[in-house]
Amino acid sequence: MEIYVLVKQVPDPEAIVKVKSDSELEIENKYFTNFFDEIAVEAGLKLKEKFGGKVTVLTLDHRRVDALRRGISMGADEAVQITDPALEGSDPFAVARTLSAYLQNKPFDLIFTGRQAMDDDAGIVGPAVAECLGIPHIHSIIGLEVDAQKKEARVVREVENGKEVLICPLPALFTCQKGLHSPRIPLVMNVMKAMKAQIKKVDLASLGLSPTEVGAQASTIKIQKYLPPPKRPPVKIIKEDFPENVKTLIKLLREEAKVI
Amino acid sequence: MALDFSFTEEQEFFRQTVRDAVNRLIMPRVKELDEKEEFPWDLWKEFASLGYLGLRHKEEYGGMETDTITQMIFYEELARGSCGFAMSVIMQILMGTYFIARFGNEEIKQRILVPAIKGEKIGTICFTEDQSGSDLGGTRTLATKVDGGWRLNGRKQWITNGPIADFATVMATVDPKLGLKGLNFYLVERKTENRDGFVSGQRLHKLGSRCSVTGELVLDNVFVPDENFLGEEIGKGVQYAGEILNEVRVMTGMNALAIAKEAMEDAKQYANNRIAFGNPISKYQLIREKFAKYWAWYEASRTFLYRCAWMIQNNIPCINECMLAKYHATEMCMYAVEEAMRIYGGNAFCSEYPVQRFWRDAKFLLYGGGTHEVLCDYLGRVYCKD
Repeated sequence: MEIYVLVKQVPDPEAIVKVKSDSELEIENKYFTNFFDEIAVEAGLKLKEKFGGKVTVLTLDHRRVDALRRGISMGADEAVQITDPALEGSDPFAVARTLSAYLQNKPFDLIFTGRQAMDDDAGIVGPAVAECLGIPHIHSIIGLEVDAQKKEARVVREVENGKEVLICPLPALFTCQKGLHSPRIPLVMNVMKAMKAQIKKVDLASLGLSPTEVGAQASTIKIQKYLPPPKRPPVKIIKEDFPENVKTLIKLLREEAKVI
Repeated sequence: MALDFSFTEEQEFFRQTVRDAVNRLIMPRVKELDEKEEFPWDLWKEFASLGYLGLRHKEEYGGMETDTITQMIFYEELARGSCGFAMSVIMQILMGTYFIARFGNEEIKQRILVPAIKGEKIGTICFTEDQSGSDLGGTRTLATKVDGGWRLNGRKQWITNGPIADFATVMATVDPKLGLKGLNFYLVERKTENRDGFVSGQRLHKLGSRCSVTGELVLDNVFVPDENFLGEEIGKGVQYAGEILNEVRVMTGMNALAIAKEAMEDAKQYANNRIAFGNPISKYQLIREKFAKYWAWYEASRTFLYRCAWMIQNNIPCINECMLAKYHATEMCMYAVEEAMRIYGGNAFCSEYPVQRFWRDAKFLLYGGGTHEVLCDYLGRVYCKD
């Protein structure tokens, strides 16, 4: 079974993120693999263990390969980095066009990715890649059984007040939701292997794409302005005695905080 | 460029991977591990299955043969979780198996080292006795040469993993009058129906690092065969011990970095949220000074420790540097945990908050690799020497 997993490195939740200018963020150099993408890698590895084959992790990132090394350390066989300075500023659709340009001539049974990245929370790249490739996709799956003979998958996902079971022909793309699998903790032997792993690098020219088809200039989503979260308002201490203090509190919650 | 303080991309990746394993396996259980005061066998098995116990051993025995800086990154990240669990793991990786890997014959390595790397056998090292610890010359555990081997008699104290150990590297003297020149290391296994060996004595209940079980080992006329003598010649035990102490001291410093940082990060959260006189207490200068001092000393310690790791890795003599770095890092940690306790005010005194655990765990670092009184006496003597 040939499986591709699309992975992304996102800022660590502990990383300090500051608004540098209207259009630029300053992000501390702490990155890790998107949590949902790790679930996707686990899904690929589980199928490989059952049916054999190969798991390839693929990322589009001009600078970082952390997520690819993470994928290798978990057990993926190969890692591919699409890298080109022209990719800077790509919106999710431009990212999807580039990833699908790499995948379109590759033989595969399944593509997995996380349901969303934990930085922009867009959740667009997975479905958009499937659209570009003309294959079915199912979003946010929490259960998966593959029938290799029939070349189809039985997929479960959560819907309001219940679960939905779908049968999907392969090849297909699934985005993975928490609950599908718990990502494995890598063995140190695989960590060492990942530290030394050769990452295959692919540039735009080899994909037949020109710089005008990707990056900021080809993106339809433009970031207008970054705004820092509002500062915490000063603490207000009510100095009255009971019951006046309760009355004041309720008044403030209603009229100022507007939470009741 | 002669000076480069950056970690490689691979080292950063390794750190992130260890951090993730610690966050997922150990962090959720830290409070429970401290309160139960028992060796966490389930966690041990799960952690051992990841392969970290072979970090510094040869690949042919199931190890990874990583370099010193990578090992130190591991020790720093591991101690962020439970200090007690870190002590047990590090004992297995470093001191508990070092002499077996270095001097054991092939049969011993296959029988002891290979299962130790898998976590199936637990190891330890025994220096301390009731009248000796930092003063190794006071060792009284006696090794007497007999036909085909050695007879060992004595009691060892403060043995990390002692109550559960399957094997121990025991320091013993061929003659107490010889002082440091009489010391050697011997491999001793736990006594069974079919094999002579050590038995466990009293278990100690400790202030901190509580899930690493610690206790006495009793050697009552124990016979070990000649191949269990771990060394090339008699009387070189102290020299051999010295050759591992640089690593032990830098490792202890790494643990100190981790505990100090956890304590102060925790205290920072508390100080930003605890309101007094209408403001978070982190707005007050006396509180801010504590963070500033810690931060300055922490950064200095960390740079110094990794410089020592780099020196060890490159075989540059660094006995004094490693002592200084251990001393500096551990004292920095003492400052950090003490000030974190003060930032917490009265809340520090209850077990609901983790800060008291950092304070208790940190104290354990004062003794390993030489007490600070012994280190400072030696270092002062070296410094003042003409």
